[in-house]
Amino acid sequence: MNLAKLALRMLWRDGRSGELTILALALLIAVTSSTSITLFASRLQATMTDQAAEFLAADLVITSHADLPEPWLKKSAEFQLNQAQTAEFTSVLMEHDEILLAGIKSVSQAYPLRGHLKSSTTDYLSEHIEAHGPSAGEAWVEKRVLSALKLKLGEPLTVGEKALTVSKIITYEPDKRGDLYSLAPRVMINNQDLAATNVLQPGSHVHYAHQFSGDPTKINQFKQWVKPQLNLAQRIMDVHEDRPELGSALERAERYLGLSSIVVIIISGVAIAMATRRYTERHLDSTAIMRCLGCRQNTVLYLFLAQFIILGLLVSSLGCGFGWLLQEFLFTMLKNLLPQTLGQPSVLALFMGLLTGITVLLGFALPPLLQLRQVTPVRVLRRDLAPLAASGWLVYGIATGLIVTLIWRYTNDLKMTATLFSVGLAVLLGLGFLTRGGLLLARGLLPRMSLNWRFGLQSLLRNNQATTSQILAFTITLVAMALTFVVRNDLLDTWQKQLPDQAPNHFALNLFSDQLPTLQNQMQAQGIKSNAFFPVVRGRLIEINNTPVQQLVSKDTQGESATHRELSLTSTTELPEENTVIKGSWWSAQPQPNQVSVEQKLAESLKIGLGDQLLFVIGGQKLSATVSSIRALRWDTMKPNFYMIFSPNTLAAYPTTYITSFYLPASQKNYLNQLVKSFPAVTILEVDQILQQFKTLLKQLTAAINYVLYFALMAGFTVLFSAIYATLDNRIYESALLRTFGAGRGLLRLTHLIEFGLIGLFSGLLAIIVTEIMLYALYSRVLHITYQPAWQLWVTLPLLSMLAVSLVGSWAVRKVVSVPPIQVLRDS
Amino acid sequence: MTIATSNLNMTQPKSSTPIIVTEKLGKSVATSTGTLQILSGIDLAILTGESVAIVGESGSGKSTLISLLAGLDTPSEGTVNLAGKALTQLNEDGRAAVRNESVGFVFQSFQLISGLTALENVMLPLELRGDKNAKVTASQYLDRVGLAHRLTHTPKQLSGGEQQRVALARAFVTQPAVLFADEPTGNLDSQTGAKIIDLLFALNTENHTTLILVTHDQNLASRCQRTVKLVGGRIG
Repeated sequence: MNLAKLALRMLWRDGRSGELTILALALLIAVTSSTSITLFASRLQATMTDQAAEFLAADLVITSHADLPEPWLKKSAEFQLNQAQTAEFTSVLMEHDEILLAGIKSVSQAYPLRGHLKSSTTDYLSEHIEAHGPSAGEAWVEKRVLSALKLKLGEPLTVGEKALTVSKIITYEPDKRGDLYSLAPRVMINNQDLAATNVLQPGSHVHYAHQFSGDPTKINQFKQWVKPQLNLAQRIMDVHEDRPELGSALERAERYLGLSSIVVIIISGVAIAMATRRYTERHLDSTAIMRCLGCRQNTVLYLFLAQFIILGLLVSSLGCGFGWLLQEFLFTMLKNLLPQTLGQPSVLALFMGLLTGITVLLGFALPPLLQLRQVTPVRVLRRDLAPLAASGWLVYGIATGLIVTLIWRYTNDLKMTATLFSVGLAVLLGLGFLTRGGLLLARGLLPRMSLNWRFGLQSLLRNNQATTSQILAFTITLVAMALTFVVRNDLLDTWQKQLPDQAPNHFALNLFSDQLPTLQNQMQAQGIKSNAFFPVVRGRLIEINNTPVQQLVSKDTQGESATHRELSLTSTTELPEENTVIKGSWWSAQPQPNQVSVEQKLAESLKIGLGDQLLFVIGGQKLSATVSSIRALRWDTMKPNFYMIFSPNTLAAYPTTYITSFYLPASQKNYLNQLVKSFPAVTILEVDQILQQFKTLLKQLTAAINYVLYFALMAGFTVLFSAIYATLDNRIYESALLRTFGAGRGLLRLTHLIEFGLIGLFSGLLAIIVTEIMLYALYSRVLHITYQPAWQLWVTLPLLSMLAVSLVGSWAVRKVVSVPPIQVLRDS
Repeated sequence: MTIATSNLNMTQPKSSTPIIVTEKLGKSVATSTGTLQILSGIDLAILTGESVAIVGESGSGKSTLISLLAGLDTPSEGTVNLAGKALTQLNEDGRAAVRNESVGFVFQSFQLISGLTALENVMLPLELRGDKNAKVTASQYLDRVGLAHRLTHTPKQLSGGEQQRVALARAFVTQPAVLFADEPTGNLDSQTGAKIIDLLFALNTENHTTLILVTHDQNLASRCQRTVKLVGGRIG
């Protein structure tokens, strides 16, 4: 018997009669949206990673104070990685009787490996993209260098002992960092000229960056190979480790996109489960006939499974195609926001789309389908004989296992999968009980209700199981939609807070106390608003409770690096903005000296607790202080932040300079020259370019995330339709019966409105409870965003849900009030 | 070619070989108020080619008996032997195989698959057998019941009588040894019902099928060679 052919024929017949429409539609949306999200996310990720790599000017960078060992470079060549080197150091330049401390950057020919430099000539208006840095004999400089040294393009500039020709003005340097070498006015030269400058002598303070680019797998292999061999002075950086603020934004966005994939899969899965349920119910009779005609149980299962697999393959292929087109459309829409060079969509994502389609279809459709296997042939004589439910736990266990594996494969994040799954499962069980309990309670209210309400509620109670599963389906969908919406809002909000429009983009260091009033007046006159001025004393932590810190720290930790260098210590009366005391208390109005507040992560790394005695060395003198509080703070605020804050007057005896940050719009950039002239000792750190890069990236991510949200919402509305259609037959039949008994159209319309309204309201109420639980779990465990209850949803979600379900439901059953009841009964 | 039913002899020779034998057949179900005995102590032998009417009032156990005889359901006690196979010793798949090889059904509510055309409904049992000529054979049988012009119509587009003709074609298309008919005219008006019964008997004679007909219509029962009356779940 050629069962496959028969299955194909049955599929064709079912398709022709419209039995598969809703199911196919649900699957099509599932595959289309998950494929397009996966393709979009993977492509966006590739683009973003490319762009983030641009911030490093490479895929991987090893920084050190000396050249890298030769075997490392050989190894990188074995991995077929491209290499470039830069050396950064400060040097005093002198031209036309002007002196400038410049940040010299000597670059090899291949630099930059990722991204590009931008330059301009005298008109400053047109920017040129430069694939590589200056040639030998040339120097490229920032505009400020020209004005500070009274230079013009084409004139010579002597760096150390080497005279170079200033040939271009640098307007953009991809890997410009926030340290002293980078932020002093830039002069870029070619590595071939470095030796001739004779600036670098043994013991010189140089910052070498060895850059690598190439195939991501090989980069990773090289990273794993080289990492264990790094010494204390060497650091390895990739996109995620380079800039925590950028890394965390990317990571959150990646997680959000991952989460959205899960959301769409789950929502679509629910739609498929509901549609299959309807399909199964409508095939009970025909299956009974087939069984009666001698079809075996396993043959029945085989025939239906084969149909579903064929359907899955066909629809998933179509969905993959649509998904591809949709992501192309999205990228076209986002064209203006994205970098010119886009990452390539991954073919693997297409294959995953296909696999997702089949898995989701079978995972969610198998339980209802297995019921068909159980259909007894006696049903042809007694229609009331419903098949036994398939051995639920085992089947759902398999389905769940499949989905969890898929989610894990999608997110590559076991933690997120485990959190979502365990919370989701617990919540689903709880919901089931709550729904059943709610329906039981409602039964008690029946005698006191008007006819409309009684009919509406009775209809829900009569189909208890169907109502429960429908409410659960709506709840899961609403939760998924609400989660996508709220997380998106909070994510964008966090980013917005992180970088408000006028976030400080310059730091001023090395200010003396007597200069502060003049500086403040000058800034005020320029309309520049500065943040608080913090006193800074440089000191090193040497002992914790009389034990040398070196014995307390483990390698490669934050504590380890903090004990290797001098820290910027400060003292304030008020707790700085964005700082929160999480242990102990901030000092009182009359604080005791020699108290210290320690930053949380450093305290954790060094195992510092309240009451611990810390010993510092400041300029050869020792200072002891007691830990009175531990602070949490955000490092990404672009304001001065400190590991250690001392109680007022504790640092009064030590040489103190001041630091502040301020926002300077691009139009007032020339003020910096005036500032440096007025206060020659001041060091200005310009982080505006970095901030701009970061803001652009966040804007792109925001746009991407918005589109993903629309997908999730679209998928959610499909569930709404398929879930309502899943139980429609029974409702239409019962309503037609009521009409034959004389029930008016108005009564039926109102009854349906009440019935669907109640389902919507109850689903909405359950959904908001679950959403809050899930949000708490997600925020605290996965996304690391501060959790706050979404109060506005407590009202809007149940109301919107009630409105949407009753409108769609009433629309779906309109047939019963618009056609003669006998036609409905005959069709049924 | 349509069969001219009015001139057909409604009886056919029976052999002495029984095709269905039951011994002490009984069926009970558990209810909330205790065990309900639907059938008990049914000893029955039906010969090959015989036509037997099972009659009785509503609730006397007619449908239950037919479901046990056809292997659609399993008895609580006793045995059933159909076409040489002990149904009570077979599992569900084994019984399904027997049904596929030896049994045809006609139901009161026609039991056609609504999404399939008349032709596809008749093809289905052949397709389940893997018959490569399903379409041709099914068309011939629909022709024989006078529905050659209705092949592509779905059940919704057919009248009750036409639907039952399709059901008859489906029942006989596999040339079963035994045909079970459960109140085949129950959903039809008397005139249409009479035509269907004529057709049923005509096809039965032509195919040498053993007919087991459940009815509470005495006239219809009298057209069979033997009548078995059920009273309270026992042969009365």
